[in-house]
Formats: sequence, structure tokens, C-alpha cells
Amino acid sequence: MDSLLDAGSIPAASTGIFLRFMKHNIKTSTIFISILFLFQILNALSIDFRSFDHEGFTRIVFAADQSFAFSVRNLPGQLQVRLPKRADFRAQSITVENSRLLERVTHEFKDDNSIFTVFFKGDVTVNKNFVLEKPFRVVFDLVKSEKISVLPQSSPEKTTNPQETPPAPQAAEPAASKSKPIETICIDAGHGGEDLGALGKSKLQEKNVTLQISQKLKKLIESKTGLRVIMTRDQDSEVSLNSRASIANNQQAQMFVSIHVNSSFRKSAYGSETYFVSLQATDPEALELARKENQNPEDPGETIKNDELKMILWNMAQTEYIRESSTLAEYIQSELNELLGTRNRGVKQAPFRVLMRTAMPAVLVETSFISNSAEEKKLQNEEFLDKIAFALFNGISKFIYYYNNIVK
Amino acid sequence: MTAKARNYLLISIAVFFFAALLVVVCSRKKAERPEPEILSKTAEDGASAEFIKVKLFYYSELSNFLQPVYREIQVPEIREELYKKFIDLLLAGSSGLIIPVPDGVQLRSVYYLQKMEMLVLDFNDNLINAFPGGTAAELEFIYFIVDNICYNFKEIKKVKILSGGNENKTLAGHIDLEKPFFPDFNWIKSE
Repeated sequence: MDSLLDAGSIPAASTGIFLRFMKHNIKTSTIFISILFLFQILNALSIDFRSFDHEGFTRIVFAADQSFAFSVRNLPGQLQVRLPKRADFRAQSITVENSRLLERVTHEFKDDNSIFTVFFKGDVTVNKNFVLEKPFRVVFDLVKSEKISVLPQSSPEKTTNPQETPPAPQAAEPAASKSKPIETICIDAGHGGEDLGALGKSKLQEKNVTLQISQKLKKLIESKTGLRVIMTRDQDSEVSLNSRASIANNQQAQMFVSIHVNSSFRKSAYGSETYFVSLQATDPEALELARKENQNPEDPGETIKNDELKMILWNMAQTEYIRESSTLAEYIQSELNELLGTRNRGVKQAPFRVLMRTAMPAVLVETSFISNSAEEKKLQNEEFLDKIAFALFNGISKFIYYYNNIVK
Repeated sequence: MTAKARNYLLISIAVFFFAALLVVVCSRKKAERPEPEILSKTAEDGASAEFIKVKLFYYSELSNFLQPVYREIQVPEIREELYKKFIDLLLAGSSGLIIPVPDGVQLRSVYYLQKMEMLVLDFNDNLINAFPGGTAAELEFIYFIVDNICYNFKEIKKVKILSGGNENKTLAGHIDLEKPFFPDFNWIKSE
């Protein structure tokens, strides 16, 4: 039919009309272009770059006040981050002062892409890459190439981390040390005994689901890695929150994973989320310190140096492990999202009582919502629980690999 | 298409872009806390009285954020009574919106600690006994209370929650309830 345009001719026709219009209506066109230009300026993406040397690795961060799409290229001696749009940066080239691994960062706009290139000193490898929200940040953890031994496996069947079961620890010794590889993991099955936890519409009890998942996870870790696993409860018994942390500390666990099932007043809420602790301070100044510690751990300018002050303010063992806990949460949440295919509610922070007193990287995982009818049904399915345990195992394995490389 | 029609078309496109720009700019703004509006009205007893307009926030099934509802409260002579009236109004709810509070929960008393800029709320035992459990539910309750209060009364910087006159470790086994809570206005950020 003559009246129908094929798809390819539509842009050409539109462009022709537009150009003819521009030619004959200069005044209106100028206004139109100015508006577009103003829109571009107000909507411009401004990128900030930060770097900081941690013990065993260097963290670099690209931050912006809005999210952005990006792609990454690993090249010999450099890392390229490409954004498919124009972005502002403070200079074309910045020399990174006093960095162990970084030389300089450059920025150019080419073929409609903003290209940030980080130049390394010697052989450097990206050990980890993740995204944080509020504000939006793309984070890379870099290590010297020789630090990488075996890449982490995404499938637990392929994970090779055989280690001999360590001798039983002495209860009086101090808790987890950052200076040795992970040997002991504490799994905390939420609730138990008279504390039923949340209830589903069909009377499914949270305490039973958490115990089932925990037992499956224990089996997976022990059989696949040979690491020592301790449980805060292995039957339907009530254990106080303080006792759970105490069990992990006294058994010298180096990782604490608390397993829960979520519930909301909003019946439509669903999905999984992973928490690490947030610090509740007792006055605005302390809150400001806490916020800085929590939000920008990678920024040297905001690092709190006075450890004694921190302990007076919060008196919490977990304060020392916030960064590791954040990383563990990222790994676990990423695996849950991938394997469960449910809504990703993300990594979050809250002042969990059970996490505060643990002296090791510690997270609390809310696997799904028992208050949501569809998810309650899934939680009664053995295969779904297997998937959850499998995802948790994957996340834990990746964290072990990351952690053990740091403490080498 | 005539030149005039094209003109209109392109001006319409420009207006659309302007509107889109406004939406982008406005959506980045966090919830602002205006000073409460003070109104002089006639009270139930016929006398002239001072009222304040408050903005209450509730959950809905359709949104992840708290939704605003406007109400007016007659200002009593004692400040703490105003806070109590406000909480009672909040717990009364709003049609079609969700109150993240267990059935039977009532406010027993309110204490305002001026030097600490802290409001202490003492609910009845039902808060603990009837709480349904779940991290999400605990956080929904806590920030429903704390954000509503701190949003409407700027003199209050933090809120402590008691039940049955006692400090409790948690509501249902998750969030530490022994320390006061600062507001997190991300919960009421406009979508």
C-alpha cells in the first residue's frame, strides 16, 4: 500500500522535515536548541574519582549523583571504564599521589563515549567489581597480579578449596583474627523454640524454614570446602541474640551468616535482601561519624582514625568489620539474585542486635517473604530451599576467596 | 503539513522536554520539611483556637515509600499533649493506606527530653506481644513512627521506643531497640 511507510524511511522523512523547518524558522529553532542545550547542562553527569590503599588491595571508586550505564575493559597496565554519554570530570588527566598501584587517571570524550582510563604501576588485576547505591558508585578492588591464585568458581560443584578441618578452638582465646585465612564459619538459624519468628498465611513458621536452610548450607560448606561449620542452633531450641554472637566469638568463627525469612505489613512485598550492621550513634556528631564510616569507607578523607573514640561511642565489636561485612553482603545478595530469580531488594544496613556483638564479618540474610502468599508457597518447596542454600554457599565461597587473598 | 502546524508541533516538543526536565530535577529532591502551617480556627467549644496542619505518612501496597495525608490538630497548652495527639491521629490511620502497627497497640505516654532533643514513646504491651515478626515489618514500624514525628516536629531529632514502660531489646528479634532512632527520610522520598 502506498500510504504505508516502511520502518526505515520514517527517520529519513522526519529528518528532512526537521532540517527544512530549521532552515525556515530560525527563531523558533534557536529557542528549541537552547532548551535542549539547557536540558543537557542540567542533566549532565558529573563523575568523581577516588582511590584508597587498603591492607592488601587498592580500592578505586567512580561516583556520581545519579546512576549510569558503563562497560569495563581490562588492558595491559590499565583499566578502561566507558560511559555511553557525555560526563564531566575535573580534569583531562589526574596524577594519583601516594598510591601503591595507581599512576594516573585520564578522561576523554570520543565517539559519544566518555572514557576513563586508570593507569597502573606494574601488573595489577581487578579482584572485584561492584556497584553501590546512594550515592551511585562503581567500585573496583585492585591487587598486584601475583596475589591472584585460583579464580573463584561460580558453581559450588567446581569450587576447590580443600582445607583440613582445624583443631577445636579453645574457648578462652580471642575471636576472629584478620591475619589468617577463613577456617571456621558460623551459621545462625534465626529464631527457634518458643520464638516462632514470622508466620505465613498457611501457618508456616519462620524458625523451621531457617533451620532447614541452615542445615543444607552447613552440609554444602562442609562437603565442598572442608571448612569447619558451627551452628548457633541445630534443633528447635531457643537461643538468645547475645548467646548467638557469643557462640560465634567463642568458637573463633571468622564469618557469621544469620539466616532469616522476611515479613512485611505490605502483603505485596517480596524478594530477598541482605543486611550488614549500621551503627546507631547517640548524638548527631557521632551519627555523622557513623554515616561517614558507613557510606564512604573507600574515601581516605573520611576514614575515622581514632579507634578508641569509636569503641567509646558504640562499644560494638562489629565496628571493626563493617567493610568486610559489606563485601560479604554484596557477594551473597548477588548470588541470591542470580539463582532465585526473585526481586532483588539489595544490600541494606540496619542496627541488628545479633550482628552488633560479633567480632567477624557478619551479615543477616532475608531470603524471601513468608508474608507473601506466593513466596510462602515456594518456601514449602524443598527445591527452592536447596536453591537458597546453594546461592548462600556461592556467595560465601566468593567471599572466602576474596578474604583469603587479602590476608595472604 | 503546513509551516504553522510544524511550528506548533515543535513548540509542543519543546514544552514536553521542559516538562521532562522539571520531572528529572524535581525527582532528585529529597523530602523537604516545611515549617508546620499554623491556622487560627474555631474549636469545638466555639472559642478561637490555634491549629497546626500536619503531614502524616502511610504505606500503601502500590508504593515502596510512605504516602502523605494532611490533617489538622488543635494545639494544646502542653507540648507533650500535642505529640500524643499527633501519634493518636497517626495510629487512627487513613482509608486505603497501611498502618504498620499491630492491632491493639496504643500509646501510653510521651516524654520529651528537651536537652537531648529526644521524644520517648511508651506503647502498651501489645507492641511486643502482637508484633508479627520480620525485619521488614520492624523497620516499617520504626521508621513510620520516627519519620512522621521528626518530619512534623523539627525540635525532635531522635525517638526512643518503649513498650509497657520498659526498654525492650527488639520488637521481634531483629532491630536493636535499646538505642534511640534518628529519622531516615529516604522512606518518605517522593517517587
